Amino acid sequence: MSVLEVRNLSVTYATGTPFEKTAIQGINLCFEQGDLVGIIGHTGSGKSTLVQTLNGLLRPTDGQVLLDGVDIWETPQNIRQVRFRVGLVFQYPEHQLFEETCYKDIAFGPKNMGLSAEEIDARVREAAAYVDLKPSLLEKSPFDLSGGEKRRVAIAGVMAMRPEILILDEPTAGLDPKGRDTILRQIRAYRDENHATVLLVSHSMEDVARVADRVLVMDHGEVAMYDDTPAVFARAEELGKRGLSVPAVTRVFAGLRERGLPLPENAYTVEQAVAMLLPHLRKGGDR
Amino acid sequence: MLSDITIGQFFPGNSPLHRMDPRVKLVVIFAYIVLIFVPQNWAGLGVCVAYLLAGLLISGLPARLLLRSIKPIVPLIVLTTVLNVFYISGGETLVKWNFIHITTGGVNNAIFIAVRIVALIMGSSLLTYTTSPTTLTDALERLMSPLKVLRINVHEISMMMTIALRFIPTLIEETDKIMAAQKARGADLESGGLVQRVKALVPVLIPLFVSAFRRACDLATAMECRCYHGGDGRTRMKQMKMRRSDGVFLASTVLLCAVVILLNILLASSLA
Ligand SMILES: Nc1ncnc2c1ncn2[C@@H]1O[C@H](COP(=O)(O)OP(=O)(O)OP(=O)(O)O)[C@@H](O)[C@H]1O
Ligand SMILES: [Mg+2]
Repeated sequence: MSVLEVRNLSVTYATGTPFEKTAIQGINLCFEQGDLVGIIGHTGSGKSTLVQTLNGLLRPTDGQVLLDGVDIWETPQNIRQVRFRVGLVFQYPEHQLFEETCYKDIAFGPKNMGLSAEEIDARVREAAAYVDLKPSLLEKSPFDLSGGEKRRVAIAGVMAMRPEILILDEPTAGLDPKGRDTILRQIRAYRDENHATVLLVSHSMEDVARVADRVLVMDHGEVAMYDDTPAVFARAEELGKRGLSVPAVTRVFAGLRERGLPLPENAYTVEQAVAMLLPHLRKGGDR
Repeated sequence: MLSDITIGQFFPGNSPLHRMDPRVKLVVIFAYIVLIFVPQNWAGLGVCVAYLLAGLLISGLPARLLLRSIKPIVPLIVLTTVLNVFYISGGETLVKWNFIHITTGGVNNAIFIAVRIVALIMGSSLLTYTTSPTTLTDALERLMSPLKVLRINVHEISMMMTIALRFIPTLIEETDKIMAAQKARGADLESGGLVQRVKALVPVLIPLFVSAFRRACDLATAMECRCYHGGDGRTRMKQMKMRRSDGVFLASTVLLCAVVILLNILLASSLA
């Protein structure tokens, strides 16, 4: 059974006003345990809306969200328990920091879960380690940190709840390449060590290609594709029609193939590309 | 959700009422509000209501919207009506039981005043429905500009109003987002006693203030970068011009005033 299943899900905003807008419509999806799914789609395609229904922040207008086979809205009083199990990191999460120290801010979630003081301490330190936050920073005010550090504190705040399903809405937006790499690596580490399921919303095809096992493509509130990463990026033309692209490396390879180099089509990350190109360079050198 | 609250609701459109010079609209509404208290008989009030209905027709907005604008003041209307019915006596007695004494005059007055309040609210709603808040403050600034003589900085006041109005929706959206983010971390904003609820707001209010200050700083910088230095010597991108239709509208309002006053003189008062 899938850990998280979505059946015939629709969300309409501002029902009954002139500003009515259907953000997602009739979606059916399954997420398996341990999957790391990248969610892509042009702006306004309903990605943020979808992930907010998955942890019960938005109530669907129609359809169901099943967590371990149970409808999360079956007992609305227990919706908080669902939010502890399905952790959601919002876009620009650093804007939600509020405590005097980073430590207290990361402890906010575990404290709301009603854990003991020792358990909270253990979880805060564990989460800080996941995001590579120096222990010395824990006692500092979150407002004194750099943008990237704030982001990591905010992500740690959700990881500290140890959610079985971790959802991140554009966690790398506005970060430098190094900050991006670190966060992506940490997200993978979280998945591997906790056997968690991770959903990652991103506008960067490179990021998705690098970390995701599967890719979900949203288009105008509907699921356009949902398949293994290579299978999705092999459909470059279709992605282009939906206002998306394939990773830059894949495009470079397509160009090289057009110019006659016998290169494979399945290069999505720089590492793969290097491995595929090196043999050709050696051949060239021999000549 | 917070976003369901609409403040100074503006419904964009392209009717003559939407296109009218906002200064004229303000003056007319001001005159109308004063005028609504002048008529002493049903004929005069009827003329005012007819004028309002004409405005509604011209605006092309659904009547349902205007009815909705009454909703928040229903308690007020009920209260004044009840007070009038019980306390004003005159004409024939309808009910007499213990201390309750209802007369035709009381009922008549109650309805008269209720109609007056409804017409008052609907008229001003028609203004905010057809004029965007920024246009409104712009017009206000220009109408108040003679106050400069008194060393009142009209421009700054209206700029502050414009900015405040502009950022209300933004801050509401921001509040929604922060509340959702804290709820995602298990914050319980909906249950508990008063003290608990106030405490639960801290994780929402602090980020909200931080972001409001950040926005204010950004806005100030952006305005300075565009060489903003107050209202002196500033020209306007949007010129307001009076057109013939505006003249017609003003004239019709003057006519309305005259008719209502005339009716007051000619006909006997219908109030008890
Ligand atoms: N609170 C809201 N009220 C009304 N409409 C909304 C609201 N939030 C989103 N929408 C609309 O729903 C649609 C989907 O929005 P959503 O935020 O899910 O898109 P997205 O895929 O996350 O976009 P982006 O990549 O820009 O973050 C958009 O057309 C948007 O205008
Ligand atoms: Mg989004």
